[in-house]
Parts: sequence; C-alpha cells; structure tokens
Amino acid sequence: MDLPSGTRNYDYATDMAVLRTKTHWAFFIGFLIIVFTAPLYLRDNWLGIFNLIGITIIAVTGLNILVGYCGQLSIGHAGFMAVGAYTTGILTGSLGWPFLVGLLCAGLSAGLIGIIFGLPSVRVKGFYLAITTIAAQLIIIWIINHWTSVTGGFMGMNVPRASIGPLVFKSEASQFYLIMVIVAVCLLVAKNLARGRVGRAFIAVRDNDLAAEVMGINLLYYKLLAFFIGCFLAGIAGALLAHWTGFLNGENFTLTDSILYIGMVIIGGLGTTIGPIIGVVVIRLLQQGIIFISPFIENAIPALSTGFTTGLGPMVFGLVIILFLILEPRGLAHRWTLFKAAYRLWPFSY
Amino acid sequence: MAELLQYTITGLAVGMVYALIALGFALIWKSSSVANLALGQLVLISSWFTYSMLVQAKFPYWLGLPATILFAVFLGWAIERFTLRPLIAQPILAMITVTLGVAYFLEGVVTFVWPVSVASLPRFFPQEPVHIGSAVISQQYLWAAVISLILFGILSLFFKYHKMGVAMRATADDQMAVQACAIPVTSVFSTSWIFACVVAAIGGVLISSIAGIGNGLIETGLKSFSVVILGGLDSFIGCMVAGPIIGLCENLGGGYLTTIIGPGIKDIIPFIIIIIVMIIKPYGLFGETRIERI
Repeated sequence: MDLPSGTRNYDYATDMAVLRTKTHWAFFIGFLIIVFTAPLYLRDNWLGIFNLIGITIIAVTGLNILVGYCGQLSIGHAGFMAVGAYTTGILTGSLGWPFLVGLLCAGLSAGLIGIIFGLPSVRVKGFYLAITTIAAQLIIIWIINHWTSVTGGFMGMNVPRASIGPLVFKSEASQFYLIMVIVAVCLLVAKNLARGRVGRAFIAVRDNDLAAEVMGINLLYYKLLAFFIGCFLAGIAGALLAHWTGFLNGENFTLTDSILYIGMVIIGGLGTTIGPIIGVVVIRLLQQGIIFISPFIENAIPALSTGFTTGLGPMVFGLVIILFLILEPRGLAHRWTLFKAAYRLWPFSY
Repeated sequence: MAELLQYTITGLAVGMVYALIALGFALIWKSSSVANLALGQLVLISSWFTYSMLVQAKFPYWLGLPATILFAVFLGWAIERFTLRPLIAQPILAMITVTLGVAYFLEGVVTFVWPVSVASLPRFFPQEPVHIGSAVISQQYLWAAVISLILFGILSLFFKYHKMGVAMRATADDQMAVQACAIPVTSVFSTSWIFACVVAAIGGVLISSIAGIGNGLIETGLKSFSVVILGGLDSFIGCMVAGPIIGLCENLGGGYLTTIIGPGIKDIIPFIIIIIVMIIKPYGLFGETRIERI
C-alpha cells in the first residue's frame, strides 16, 4: 500500500531510501524550490509566520519523538524550550560566544534538564509523568523569572541576531533560510532515528514497556534517551526563537504553549514524521486565520464582549484537540496516507 | 512565635481547601481511572460563574450559591457525556490529553465571557480576625477549613452507606463485575464527574472569596495535584492528610524562605514537593502500589 505498483526493490539501499519513485523526486524538488524561493514573493509578515512555523516544527518533532514514539507524555515542552533559549541568550548575549556554539549548547543544556526531569519516568508513567513535567515547566519558568542577575527576570533579556562568521542573519528572509535549513536537518535526523534501532526500541517501550524490558531493551537508557533527544530539539527550537525574536521573557514559554504543542502532535498524528509538520502548519495557520477574521466578526456583531478575540483562539484549539481525539485519534497524517492510497489507485477503488 | 502559629493555622486551613479540590480529582480517578488535568480551569470557571450570579446579576446568596452548584452539576455531566464517554477503553494518553483539551477550551470560555482578568467575590464570612494564643488569624480561613471538613465527612458517609457511593467504590474495584451486577457503569462515571465538579466549585468559591478571582486559580488547581500525588491518587484519606501538609509547607516556606531565596517561593513549593515525591515514593503516602504484569 505504501508504494505504487511496479516499484521493486533490487537491493537494500533502494529498500531503505526515503524517496523511491521519479514522482517522489519531482514532488520533493518542486517542494524544495517553492520553499527556498519563498522570500522572493512573500512579504515579511508572512515570512515571519513561516519562521515561527519552522521553529515550532523543530520543537514539536522533538515532542513527537518523546510522546509519539516513546509514549512518555511531557506537558512541559515550552519549559525545555525556555532552557535552550536562555542558554543561548546568556552565552551569545552576555558572554559573546559564537552563534553555532550557543545553538549546540542550548540543545545540550535543554537535553540535560530534560534527563533530570525525565528520571521519574523510569518508575512511573501516564498521569504521574504528566504531572512531573507540568511541575518541571512551572519550576523552570519560576527560576527564570526570579534569577534576575542571570536571566533578567521579569524584565527579560536581549539576544543578538544569529551570525555565522561575518554573516549576520538580520532580515526576515535570511533568517528564513537559516531556520529552514535547520528544520530540514532536524527532520532528516528524526526520520532516520525513528526507523532505526533506537526508534524501534522507542516503539517497543511505548507499546508495552514491561514486554520491552523482558526482550532486552534497557528501559532506563531508552527512556532517558527519548527525553534527551526530545528536549535537545526543544532546546534548538528555543534558541532559534530567541535569536529570531531578539528578546526573551518568561511569558514566551507558558504552560498553555506546552498544551498547544501536545495538541499539534495529536492533530498531526502521533508517531509519524509528517504528523508534526502537518499539525504545526494547520494550527499556526488557524491562529493566523483567527487573528485575521476576528476583527471582522467583532465589527459585524458589536454585542460581543471584548474578550472575544483573545478567548476565541483557546476555545477553537481546545475544541479541535477534543474532536480529533474522539473522531480521528491517528491524526491528519493518517488521512494523508488514506488520500495517497486512494490517489494511486484512482479510478479503481481497490 | 506568634508568626509561626499564624503560618501554621493559615497553612492548615488553606490546605483543607486544597484537599477538597483534590478530592474531586481522586473521585474521578477512583471510579474511572481518568486523570482530570482540567481541575484548575473547573475551579476558575465556577468561581467566575458565582461572580456573575452574586455580583453581576445581584442574586441573593440563597439563590446564587445553589445556582453555582447547579452549574457545576451541568458542567460535570456535559464533560463526561461529550468528551470522555466516546473515549472509553482508549489508551491512557488519549484520556489525559482530552482533559487538556477541555482545560484549554474552558480557559477560552473564561476569557470570552469574563474579559476582566480579576474580580472579587462578596465576603461570605465575618471579617473580624480571631485571636488564637498570640496569633491573629483571619476568620475566613477557619470557616473555609470547617466547610471543607464537613463536606469531607458527608462524602465519606455517602461512600460508605449510600447505594450510589457503594456502586462507585465497586466500579473502582472491578468494572466487569459491576456490570454483571446490573449497575450502569456509565452513570457511575457521570455521577463521579458531577461530584468532582461540585466539589471543585465549592473549593473554588471558598478560595476566591478569600483571595479574589483571577488566573491564579488555575495554579490553585495545579497545586491540588501535589496533594493527590503526595496523598496517593486513589485515597480519600490521603487527600485529607496531604492537603494540610502541602498548605503547611507552602505557608511556612513562604513565611521563612522568602527572605533567603526571594519573593514568590511560596508558589513553587508544591511543585518541588511533586518532584521529590516522584523520585522517592511515586505512589504517595496512602496510594496503592500497582504491580504490573505482562
């Protein structure tokens, strides 16, 4: 079902390749051309939206490895992003280190913090883990808000623009290229991780961790590895966010954001590579749509309360999360597979 | 010394209210093994509803407060009927995340209907402070604690003697056996949600009559999680013991550590307790240790 008929495997390399047919390659190259020429015909505010989408894709891909593949629920992902963001902010801003080193350190520090808060996952799961990560989120943000001498506290801190050597990523377009390249690398890593030995171990742990342990999978190692990788990507995303906005504040990383990321993974489809991309794009565009449309509704119906614009977003997203869980728990990625299958067989139904 | 006594009594009293809210969580967990992460939002929305009834619509107490209870009953029924019933027998991840969706939705409803971010309820209880020994305690805290204790007593009796209470305990024990005895499990679930919402509403009104209504109430709900974690998820006694402990730690820590560590330490103590309990004794003081088999 996965491949069009007539596609044959003659060696292992073709069997493992991500892109198999000429149509795959054509679509892929066409997509890349569209993405990387986007700054030519998109205005800056749209580029900004796509930058945010790219950053969120990195974070949600990390969350997908943790929740979708390894089955360890984390409701503190925004907190881990904050760790990465502040690490790079301190290293490149206050200490003047280069951007790439800051980015790597951001990922590592977020990963380490993730391991620390992931430790209880070895003994507990489900709700207990959810609560632990909520606590992690609140503790991290509290420390950021109160450790004024290092993080600037409630006043926030300024972060310099990203730069590699003499190249400074100042404009929205240049940052778009930087973010998209990193997104591509992260997605490639995530894809290969998920179908390799590590990914298979994660899936075994998710489906039944006791059975996985009996089969010889080291639970401690793989659960903490999942936390490390998930939080590493969150740290990278946080660092990019920091360099992109140029200003950091605890308000950027709230518990509400963490819940929204979980919602994105669910809407996209747990445990698929394409899921996070679809989920993030859909939710972020929905957000833009709400921002765009709510003034019109407000003008049309003056009786609406002033909280309409701010309240509409959470209401819609909460509803979307609930409806997806009830009606399509496998997410949009599943719909996408169904669509592909139907499209290949068209005009026949079987 | 007066300071210490004051922190202790206030902490114990606030802890009783936390315990009451946590009781709502334990109720649902016991009967249907669903983790309700929307606790804070339930507290928030029912406090705002009370505000609408008493302040905006200017209803008298005898009409406004029962209206809040009715609202909570409806809310509990609706959440169970429309979000959790379709998900029966789904994986635990779906059960947890759907309550997150509910939480998000309720938060949106609150900003939508009540755009002002803070408000205060009328004072239900007499204002003049009480002198206990050398400490001066605001009477409201004591009233809140007494009401929590009374409710806890009523609920315990309900679970021990009432038919529905017994059915709920039985459902917690073995759903299949209960169905074989012709007890409608779905109505047990729905009753447990209704009870949980009512208890959360009463806890919310008690807290917000003291501290005012605002988004801080969500945090109050989150703090109640530390009560359930410390007490053990499936234990009512655990809630009533752990609640005052959390309140005590929070108030003593807030009183004495603020000068050492910095302001706001009070808000974070319950969450630090969660992490410590998770690492040392994950199933809490009175919780049942689950042994899994393949």
